[in-house]
Amino acid sequence: MDKSPFIADDEIFERMNLAERIQHLVLMVTFLLLVLTGLPLFFYEFKLFRWLIPSEAAFQVRGIIHRLAAVGLIGVVVWHIGTTLFTRRGRRNFKELRPRFKDFRDALELFGHNLGLTRFLEGKGLFRKFFKKHPFWLFELPPLFGRYNFIEKFEYWAVAWGSLVMILTGFFMWQVELSLRLFPLWIHDIFVVIHGYEAILAFLSIIIWHMYSVHFNPEVFPMSKIWLNGRISGHELRTLHTLEYQAIHLERERARAKASQVMNPYGNAKS
Amino acid sequence: MRSPGAFRLLLRPAFVLALALALAWRAPALRAQSDDDCLSCHSDPQLKRGNGTSVFLNQERYAGSSHGQAGLSCLDCHAGLRGVRDFPHAEKLKKVACASCHEKPVSEIALSVHGRTGPGSQGPLPGCPDCHGRHDIRPARDFESMTSPINLPQTCGRCHLEKVKNGRGGEFIRQYEQSIHFRAIKKSGLTLAASCSSCHGAHAVQAVKTPQSLVSRKNIIRTCGQCHVGIEKDYLESVHGLDYLKGIKDVPVCTDCHSEHAILQAQDPNSRVYVTRVAEVCARCHDNLTIARQYGMSASRLKSFSDSYHGTALKFGERRVANCASCHGFHDIRAASDPKSSINPANLPQTCGQCHAGAGKNFARGNIHSIQDETVTAKYRSSHIIKRIYLILITVILSTLVLFIAADLFRRAVARKRHG
Repeated sequence: MDKSPFIADDEIFERMNLAERIQHLVLMVTFLLLVLTGLPLFFYEFKLFRWLIPSEAAFQVRGIIHRLAAVGLIGVVVWHIGTTLFTRRGRRNFKELRPRFKDFRDALELFGHNLGLTRFLEGKGLFRKFFKKHPFWLFELPPLFGRYNFIEKFEYWAVAWGSLVMILTGFFMWQVELSLRLFPLWIHDIFVVIHGYEAILAFLSIIIWHMYSVHFNPEVFPMSKIWLNGRISGHELRTLHTLEYQAIHLERERARAKASQVMNPYGNAKS
Repeated sequence: MRSPGAFRLLLRPAFVLALALALAWRAPALRAQSDDDCLSCHSDPQLKRGNGTSVFLNQERYAGSSHGQAGLSCLDCHAGLRGVRDFPHAEKLKKVACASCHEKPVSEIALSVHGRTGPGSQGPLPGCPDCHGRHDIRPARDFESMTSPINLPQTCGRCHLEKVKNGRGGEFIRQYEQSIHFRAIKKSGLTLAASCSSCHGAHAVQAVKTPQSLVSRKNIIRTCGQCHVGIEKDYLESVHGLDYLKGIKDVPVCTDCHSEHAILQAQDPNSRVYVTRVAEVCARCHDNLTIARQYGMSASRLKSFSDSYHGTALKFGERRVANCASCHGFHDIRAASDPKSSINPANLPQTCGQCHAGAGKNFARGNIHSIQDETVTAKYRSSHIIKRIYLILITVILSTLVLFIAADLFRRAVARKRHG
């Protein structure tokens, strides 16, 4: 969108507050530890892991680290649920994170726009009539995102789902005697399978998706620093989170109008 | 007394007869050669034969030997010298005939792999002195004897380490010296522990390939069972033992799991049946598709075990987890259908309960060696269905992510080409 007169490009906004940054950091550390101490069990034939865990003692330490990290992860999940439920900011963020139909359309639009196939076809004079009637399918412009784009939402919900699944299955693997008091062995086997494959899914998603969006994406390369300082500039907000930028603009415009109304009760301030 | 021709032919027998009569009449006085006569030369450490070897006989050693103790005189063995009056006597003596006293061992040797007529015998064969020595023969109980369990490996090794080819190299035999059997003899003086002859036989030793060999597949159970009586009994009642009795040739016998010469205690980390290594031993048959098909057993036992936490942890050296033997037992392994089996569903709570306190019926409601197999009950296969769903899910999600990234990079590349 056009530049708002109320928002300077170098104005700094807080995208992640301190609590959120710490939550992210703890999540990152525990996730990495869990992956590092968990994957060797999945890929037990892999030489690197044999080298990493060379002895029985190392293997036992591996287990201890895995469970400590799991407790850390559970802690950060509980903390995050707390801030989400009990702070105004948390509730507002959560509202913004809810998946909507727009997210699916955004994904399609962005992909279609990036691919540019339909524009290419139209340029060649193919399906002219169809594109005239349904200009959406031309994907002329990339979609505009709010505070959280579909990529970020997908990651958030992937982490939420993943944590839930991993914590539940992991708990029963930890307390195997309890698990087998409650469930037959074949159910417990399902826990084990889920724990392993969900871990692979999470690990690969993070490696591919999250690393691309916050590191290797040319827009932020070598790294987006938001996770460290929590700051985002007016310019970045305008280009990356346009709808949020617009919302701030409208809010400020309304506030300005209100203020001038108060100053000028006759309502002819702007002429 | 030297006369040629007719005189000798006629008179010599007469002379010998007369001498014999005289000897019989007044033996002590007229004895031709006493031990002292022999020793007049053979106690001289300087005296040498034509080829330079000493003729010295260590009288003390001989006196301590079995024959010395029994009071045998030189001529009792060197019977060829009886009546010889010319000294020094010929260097080449008639071979001592041990059989004149030791008839049974000598006849056993003849039929053994060490005897000319024995099956599979070939090449230069050992004579009695090669194993027992000559003047210094001692009973096997004597630690100085060449046939004492403590010296036997060395005695047999003189030929069997290098000269005699066995198809598996000298190292195969040398391993015995590291075994629990030899260490028991050497370190603890337990001479009842198995030495060469305990398993291979002494005089009647046969080649392993000969069916009547004590160490042939047919006989090895009984051979080890000479000492390991209880284990033999357990084994013969086990699923392996029952098949062994049926004469099935692929069934494991003692040596298949424990090895032959390199037998170690199961508690020794180098043992093939050590907790972290035993799975590989069992896997030779139980992870072998050909054998599994032939005998209708479930295959992939190692794969399915390694995939479980027990198997994976073991691979990393964790010893507290269950290995094959923890659940199946070892010598007394029984089929799961056997009510006495430790893995019979009715007994699983108790078996699993060794480690998992309070293990109940739920431990039996599933598949321990979980594999994708039609023989497995439908609901026990559910974890494999979940696994497959996850694999599809992972493929779909990750390819979508990669496609999105590729499209994004493509757009940027196009834009850069257009503007820059």
